[in-house]
Amino acid sequence: MEITVRPHVLLLGLTVGVALADSSVVTLALPRILADYDVAIGTLAWVLTSYNLGLALTAVPAAFVARRRPSMVFGVSIVVFSAASLACAFAPSIWVLIGARAVQGMAGAGVVCAALDLLSQATGGDAPAARVWALSGIIGAAFGPAAGGILTQLLGWQSIFLVQAPVMGIALLALRGATAVPVEEPAGRPHVAANLALLLVSGALVASSFLLVILLINGWRLQPLEAGLVVTLMPLAAIVGARTGGRITPLSARAASGAILIAGGSAALGWLPHAGARWTIAPQIAIGTGLGLALSALTERALAGRSAQAVHGGWTIAARHAGIVLGLVLLTPLFTADLERNEDDALSAGAAVVLESEIPPLQKIGVARDILVAVEKAQEDAMVPDVSDSIDHQDDNAYRELASDLQKQLNRAVTNAFSRSFLVAAALGLLALAPIFVGRRDVTV
Amino acid sequence: MRALAWSAGASALLVAVYLALGGASYAPASVADPCAPRDWSEPRGVNEVGEQIVLSALDGAACRIGVSREDIVLAFEDQDSLEAFGREHGVTEAELERLARTGLERAVTDAENAGALSPRLANLIRGVVGRIPPGLLIGLLDRVPDLVFPDS
Repeated sequence: MEITVRPHVLLLGLTVGVALADSSVVTLALPRILADYDVAIGTLAWVLTSYNLGLALTAVPAAFVARRRPSMVFGVSIVVFSAASLACAFAPSIWVLIGARAVQGMAGAGVVCAALDLLSQATGGDAPAARVWALSGIIGAAFGPAAGGILTQLLGWQSIFLVQAPVMGIALLALRGATAVPVEEPAGRPHVAANLALLLVSGALVASSFLLVILLINGWRLQPLEAGLVVTLMPLAAIVGARTGGRITPLSARAASGAILIAGGSAALGWLPHAGARWTIAPQIAIGTGLGLALSALTERALAGRSAQAVHGGWTIAARHAGIVLGLVLLTPLFTADLERNEDDALSAGAAVVLESEIPPLQKIGVARDILVAVEKAQEDAMVPDVSDSIDHQDDNAYRELASDLQKQLNRAVTNAFSRSFLVAAALGLLALAPIFVGRRDVTV
Repeated sequence: MRALAWSAGASALLVAVYLALGGASYAPASVADPCAPRDWSEPRGVNEVGEQIVLSALDGAACRIGVSREDIVLAFEDQDSLEAFGREHGVTEAELERLARTGLERAVTDAENAGALSPRLANLIRGVVGRIPPGLLIGLLDRVPDLVFPDS
């Protein structure tokens, strides 16, 4: 069925996209936020976690209210979301930022759930509304990191939130002439298997949505804009996956295919054979395609045959963002522990490289100390240093080789530090296959 | 079901290619065992002889403590690092210096056996080792050529 793209539909889709993009939009800005507030990585992770936690906890209650008064919930949520965005932009401390992000998440839940009901009116049916809603969410979630990176590089991380406020404000126009009808019938039970699979798949996607961009910027020293462009591959593949995956039947086969591709792509990121953005291309295409297939199929499955779409949409949002929180809770400590372990290994390997290098013996101690100072300075910005900046005599072959060998060791260390996290993400993707296959006999699908 | 087979095949192929290209072992190079004998390269000039001796000395001390010689180099970065290293490995600064002297003596013997030092020169260095002032072992790298060849 073709959906007529009307301004109302576009605006509602935009709000869903912005609200769901917000779960990952600050990922590329994290290094700059870290530098501005000077906090531990564990604290910084709460900038992401608080939003997703707010969204996960509020989605279902918001959906129950939205099914009775969708226009009111949508309007109030948009205003609160915009205000919280401004509070994020001007946050005087990390804790104000984290608190404002939680409020944003709660308001985002209201926006997304109410938008589903309003979309049913705007598109003329539940099924097309669900498709627009799911596609908007996929595009938003997938483009989030790239959009955030581009804004951070060009205008600073605060601009991410400053842009959101007016964009969401404009969406209030979607309420003009809206004729949402309150839903009276009971909502019924949620589709447990589909929602559980959504939770696990979303947990798996944390690695590619969050950790990959940290690897690109902090590990391989790409600028946020460059990293943003690199990770744009994933949303493009997701859109192709979501658009073309409609032909794959049954839904369980589409969802399982997506989960397998997410697992395969994540495992490949866990076993990268070299450092460098080009090695992430094939895994990103696999993960992006898998994301498009799995999220669209599981969302359709969770909503299919359910009368109160907003409530069941709320369950899918709660499941997805609970999955993101699960992923962050699982992967953040693992990743930070591996980073510390690899830092020690990298220093030892670097010292060995210096000791065994061809530069004059009497220069080695001085060079080693310069490198250590550079590493410590870069650590303050949570970055891996560019060793060549710390080594003089670059016109001498021996020094150039030393710089190159040292950089290789640092690249190996930082890339390897992400390995286990990506492999755990792959395992989560494979785990999602269990509820997908267990729930495939649901007669309502 | 064809979609399932395609996605499983594509995923397996991607992972297999990355593993075949060395994905499972892409990590920082492991450092050499300090207790295992190292080949003496043929040093050219005073500085390189001095360097080989110090590196061999570091191996000797590292072998006794049960760490790598690179760990000792990093421990000598500053006083804080040295104290942290001592606490971690239960070694006092005095013990570390004693180990460094023992290691240096072993290095001189290694160099002598490898033909890099004449017996006369080796004996001269052993004499110097006993008089090396307490301080940074790593500083020896700068000092050894002067200690060994004061007129060079």
